[in-house]
Amino acid sequence: MESSDMNDSGLRTAGSEQNLLSRPDGSATFTQGDTSVMAAVYGPADVRQNKEIIDRATVEVIYKPKSGMPGIREKSKEQLIRNTCETVILTAMHPRSSITIVTQEVQDSGALLACCINASCMALMDAGVPMKCLVAAVTCMLDSEERLVLDPTDKQAKDALCLATFAFDSTNKKVVTSTFQGSCTMQQYQSLLASCQTASQKVFDFYRTSAERRLAKS
Amino acid sequence: MAPPREETVESKSSENLRVLPGDDLSDVFISTRGSKFRLGPGLRQEGETVVACKCGILRKKEPNDVFWIDNHQKRYVPVKGETVLGIVVGKAGDVFKVDIGGSVPATLSYLAFEGATKRNRPNVAIGDVVFGRLLVANRDMEPELVCMDSAGRSGGLGIMSDGGFMFQCSLGLVRKMLSPKCTLVKQLGQVMPVELAAGMNGRIWLRGKTVSSTITAMNAISSAEFMTESEIRLMVHRLQDSVSGMWSGIS
Amino acid sequence: MKETPLSNVERDFLLAAIRSGKRIDGRDTYDYRNIKITFGLERGCCEVQLGQTRVLAQVSCEAVEPRNARPTEGQLYLNLELSPMASPGFEPGRLSEYGVELNRLLERCLKDSRAVDMESLCIVAGEKVWQIRVDVHVLNHDGSILDCGSIAAIAALSHFRRPDVTVVGETVTIHTPEDRDPVPLSVHHMPVCISFAFFEQGKYLLVDPTFKEESVMEGNMVMAMNAHRELCTVQMTGGMLLLKDQILRCSQIAVIKVAEVTELIKKALSNDAKARSEGKKCGYAESLPRRRITTSVAEPQRVDTTKSVEMAQDVIDRADEPVQDLDVKSTLLDAGFRGIGEGAANTWLIPDAENEVEEDEDEMEDADEEEEVDAMDDGTSDVAARRNQTSVSQTRVAEGYHSDSSEEAETVTLNEEVLGGYKRPPVDPSADLDLSVALKTSQIVSSTSGPPAKKKTKRKGKKNK
Repeated sequence: MESSDMNDSGLRTAGSEQNLLSRPDGSATFTQGDTSVMAAVYGPADVRQNKEIIDRATVEVIYKPKSGMPGIREKSKEQLIRNTCETVILTAMHPRSSITIVTQEVQDSGALLACCINASCMALMDAGVPMKCLVAAVTCMLDSEERLVLDPTDKQAKDALCLATFAFDSTNKKVVTSTFQGSCTMQQYQSLLASCQTASQKVFDFYRTSAERRLAKS
Repeated sequence: MAPPREETVESKSSENLRVLPGDDLSDVFISTRGSKFRLGPGLRQEGETVVACKCGILRKKEPNDVFWIDNHQKRYVPVKGETVLGIVVGKAGDVFKVDIGGSVPATLSYLAFEGATKRNRPNVAIGDVVFGRLLVANRDMEPELVCMDSAGRSGGLGIMSDGGFMFQCSLGLVRKMLSPKCTLVKQLGQVMPVELAAGMNGRIWLRGKTVSSTITAMNAISSAEFMTESEIRLMVHRLQDSVSGMWSGIS
Repeated sequence: MKETPLSNVERDFLLAAIRSGKRIDGRDTYDYRNIKITFGLERGCCEVQLGQTRVLAQVSCEAVEPRNARPTEGQLYLNLELSPMASPGFEPGRLSEYGVELNRLLERCLKDSRAVDMESLCIVAGEKVWQIRVDVHVLNHDGSILDCGSIAAIAALSHFRRPDVTVVGETVTIHTPEDRDPVPLSVHHMPVCISFAFFEQGKYLLVDPTFKEESVMEGNMVMAMNAHRELCTVQMTGGMLLLKDQILRCSQIAVIKVAEVTELIKKALSNDAKARSEGKKCGYAESLPRRRITTSVAEPQRVDTTKSVEMAQDVIDRADEPVQDLDVKSTLLDAGFRGIGEGAANTWLIPDAENEVEEDEDEMEDADEEEEVDAMDDGTSDVAARRNQTSVSQTRVAEGYHSDSSEEAETVTLNEEVLGGYKRPPVDPSADLDLSVALKTSQIVSSTSGPPAKKKTKRKGKKNK
């Protein structure tokens, strides 16, 4: 799957399981290659008074690292997932309630943030939270020879010139979130963005096949 | 991998279409253009188009052409007129606070029971299960529950007393169970007599003749979530065999 | 979030069922639920499912300075997390009383029973030792967390490999996995917790209670034991008295269960070792139950990125073009109100606007407007100066209220308290309410209905008093 050809990279094996936890309102695991994230959603549920918003739902995200205590890095990840998800959730439909997303790192083998966002989206779908559209995230990098690598593993990401994660919405494939590490030219940035955009369609296709499979018997 | 949208629309009728949030369903509604139709849960209008906002199956309810999306949600969002099973969590003045699984507890006036007056208050304790109808339910107000119809009769609503068991399942399963097409309850009733109340909030109360028949019925219902009609039939048949086998074994 | 309350109906039925020796999941009194042990790709990562209860454990290590009291011993640190994922009742962050109790019990089970050899974790006496950290995350709470957690923790500890170390004189080298094979911890024995739930003063006993059963039980007992029939921990909670015989009976049950569980852990470890030595794939991605309808797997997919370079060039080219026509649409919301962009106006509290007229304009649309806005941003002194210029009676101060929304609307509230001595002309009573208008732009210009020269006011980013 890791191709040496410059413009022929791809996404790793994707897998998911929905509704695997009995207690939350919605849950999903999402795996990309070896990277695996579990996400659970509660909502629309009761909200703490100090977090109540009068005309829309409060979206909260908790990210749990596998070992150690959550720090600043985890908080920033929570914020990124929160902002991404809040963009697609129709919060105005459930005012004065809370939508809580809990993501748990299960295995980090590269592209963890993208996996978190995709798992959260699948868990939101499972929970039946109203959404404008779906969201899919794809990670992309340039290796030391300035070749473009989609969905890199942690080994590949070690010698990355720059690493970018983009999230797209499903209707217009417009950018919802963009994070970037390292440096590159504007031209390179745009081509990273363009290839992630193309790749995001594969994730949306995956969402659709898994939904069709799930609803096959209803 | 996924079939293109248009193809699915053409090959199948507008009903039972599997949709994802953000799917543009305008094509489906072209056929109904001219006649009036309504958008139910899971669908919303965005300018000129109709867009899905939940993952599920597009369904149509005949009488007034209501389209809505059926899914396997677990969390209940109160809807006016639906019957639900709630747990009394507290008393506040003239009302009971009832947990119906929504984001806020519903209120239930102590006068909203059959035959209740200011003097003759119903005997409701905290922790009791009530089967009620939602009188008020919208996103901006606290939901209100009543245990009688407009004529003042209970019509099966009220406190669930004298045993039985209540369990939680997905909202989709309750809808599936209550739909006229589904024969699960009917078939189950032939195997073992059970008394049953299904709340649209995904709670099912049931009472069999014995503890074990209640447990069996509960497990049969909760296992039917991902089963087709024929699989349900097979499951109930197997159940019947094992139940009769069990009884012959005892006797 | 609140936990769903337990109804009397459920309580009575569960107790009646227990009295007649039945359980709602069809198990017998002494039956354990199915146990599934999965190891992750990383060493020391283990997920255990006990029926619907799920726990994930991860072991990690770090070289630290030893405690003064024990300079030649390593450290074992246990951290049990009751993640809100497991139950709506679990709060994120701080550990609840229940969490502390479970954490301490797990610590007693593994640490105080000396399951892991501490002295072999010493690198240089008094200077460097290994600190082994076990993080146990509860993913789904359906009773018997401790049973599940102890299996996960001990399996993860047995699965873990720490980096190899060589000490030559004063220099300590910690080898990378590529350099030298990591070494396993020396695990002396495998203590496993078994939970018992008691009902009616210990008259009825259940092994491996579910969440529902735990919520109606009178008391519970946790017994940790290893395969050598050595008792590691016993803990009893709840107000009940037990007879000696009952405790002995529990220990006999525990002996059998622990033997079964230990066997299972060893089998899972050997399966994993075999898969690893044969170079097969392992880890969670491989362990997805593919036959389930809720599961789906897609093979690796190639993505054609040849066009991305062209697309990128195209975007850049277009970015260089000067913007021709900025098509800003504004919609008339109500008399005197205009909205720009997507932020929807709050239609609830818009007053009849007899005297108050709000105008919001995009900076780009109107150069004059921009100037006005910039000037006002300069500071309060400027505002004060302007206030002096205009007749005091016409001054309004808009108290801005920042909602913490990331993308949308900011709400501005006109507040009467801050009108400072200004006497309002008689208006519609509804206008006395806070006037909330949600706008896409962060610049709000509040003006009177008078001539534009009297335009005034603004402070933003302040929270309501």
